[in-house]
Amino acid sequence: MQQLLENRPRLIGLPVLALMLVVWLIPPPGATHATTHEISLDATQYEYAPGRVHVNQGDRVVITLTAADVVHGFYLDGYGLERRVEPGVSQQITFTADKAGKFRYRCSVSCGPLHPFMIGELVVESNTPYWRATGLVLVAVGGMLAYLWLTGKNKSYQEVISGK
Amino acid sequence: MRINTSRTELVALVSVGLIVLGLPAAALGYQYWLRPATAPTHVIDIDLRVPQDGGFAPEAITVTMGEPVTLRFASLDVTHGIAIGPGLGVDLGHVDPGQVKEITLTFDHPGTYTYYCNAWCSPDHWRMRGTLQVIDPDNPGFVPPAQSDPMIQALIVEGVDIDAKHEEGHGHDDDPALEITRPLSAQHGADLLDSVTLPDEVIDPLWRRSHAPTQALELLGTANPQMTQADLIDVVAYLWTADTAPETILNAQVLYNKNCAACHGQYGGGDGPAADTTAENPVIFADPAFMFEMRSDVLYAKIRRGGMGTDMPNFGTLFTQEETWALVEYLWTLPVQLANQGEE
Ligand code: HEC
Ligand SMILES: [Cu+2]
Ligand SMILES: [Cu+2]
Repeated sequence: MQQLLENRPRLIGLPVLALMLVVWLIPPPGATHATTHEISLDATQYEYAPGRVHVNQGDRVVITLTAADVVHGFYLDGYGLERRVEPGVSQQITFTADKAGKFRYRCSVSCGPLHPFMIGELVVESNTPYWRATGLVLVAVGGMLAYLWLTGKNKSYQEVISGK
Repeated sequence: MRINTSRTELVALVSVGLIVLGLPAAALGYQYWLRPATAPTHVIDIDLRVPQDGGFAPEAITVTMGEPVTLRFASLDVTHGIAIGPGLGVDLGHVDPGQVKEITLTFDHPGTYTYYCNAWCSPDHWRMRGTLQVIDPDNPGFVPPAQSDPMIQALIVEGVDIDAKHEEGHGHDDDPALEITRPLSAQHGADLLDSVTLPDEVIDPLWRRSHAPTQALELLGTANPQMTQADLIDVVAYLWTADTAPETILNAQVLYNKNCAACHGQYGGGDGPAADTTAENPVIFADPAFMFEMRSDVLYAKIRRGGMGTDMPNFGTLFTQEETWALVEYLWTLPVQLANQGEE
């Protein structure tokens, strides 16, 4: 085996490729550990508090929406969710953040002159491609090192450089 | 040949004249004479603005009995909501800026109604009301007197001051102070009924309307010296919430959430977002100690007449007497954990 690899160091590419495939295809850890985010979102003229919400892809999101002064609304781009909220009566909106990206939520009730600027942002982080990419790079670097080590085995640095 | 030309010219001239003069005349005639004359209904346009900017325009309208009238509501600033009461069951829902909502009504007797905003459009939203007067064409000067309300009459005869401050209280000095140590459970009260002697007054729903729970508690305490006060309080909580049909409560809850929750809070905590805009603090229905001092007929009268400079609006011109009673019954459910309906 060792002999074989030493004679044909490029064979190391096979296990490395197989490992890269595995890293790319294993189910995302997020899918199994999806958490529930409980978010209180308070609407006033003319902003939401908080104005930005971060969740991870696959998380369940439970928004408790309240209005502090007049009737407001909540429309979430991308997810198409809509709700009206009267002062004093809270509304609950539940959904799964299955789409990654940045989505605006905006007031869907004309609540006053600056109503069009009443906008917040939901950030759905998709961590998994990032970790996959990191994993791929690590495996590839490992494979390259192994290849170099195999080709250069029992030879001095100089010998390798001079190609003897 | 010549004659022909001049005849053709004449025809052309007449046609042009007809087009230039006749077309506008026809259009204007249609708009201002034919259409109103043949239109089946009388149309009234009402503009909506937040109360700070004038509220309804016009703020009062008069319509004739028996004649269909179309009311068209258009918002000029923010989202409003339109309902007309009492007793018409008209709720047009939200009116967004640029949107027009209309309704055609025919009234068959003279009377006074209120069109009002039912979306919390601004801090002064609850002042946004308009008056719709229905007159009899044969007797236009006649305005029917506001329907007299026997319940409020009775309070006046009895000399009850519905604006009395509660701290001063009308309690008797020798009363033991009402001590409420645990959440009120109507279910627990219902379970105890068999082991309690109920005085006749307490069983009578009309007596319960005109007396406070503390008064019932006093009678029950005398009749049942073996029971603890906490248990008797649950019995009273049951008696004060038992008679209400679930759908009445649901309808009243809708009214409460739309018209009251902004000040009194969704669960009666007195903590609605508009509570800090009122001259006095909205009362806390969720507080059993407060509610146990209250009479249903006084709650009723207060809802219909409103406060005196306290910013508690009057709702007597919006809601029917039945709707108001349903609201009172809903208020009683706020401090009490209701009995399980299935186990009655
Ligand atoms: C704009 C705010 C506001 C709204 C809306 C409002 N209330 Fe009130 N309410 C008050 C305030 C302030 C008080 C306390 C002062 C008073 O008793 O007049 C009060 C007092 C009351 C009381 C008096 C209890 C007592 O002490 O006699 C009742 C009953 C009541 N409200 C019922 C209602 C109901 C039912 C609604 C909805 C249909 C409603 N309120 C809507 C502000 C409001
Ligand atoms: Cu808004
Ligand atoms: Cu309004």
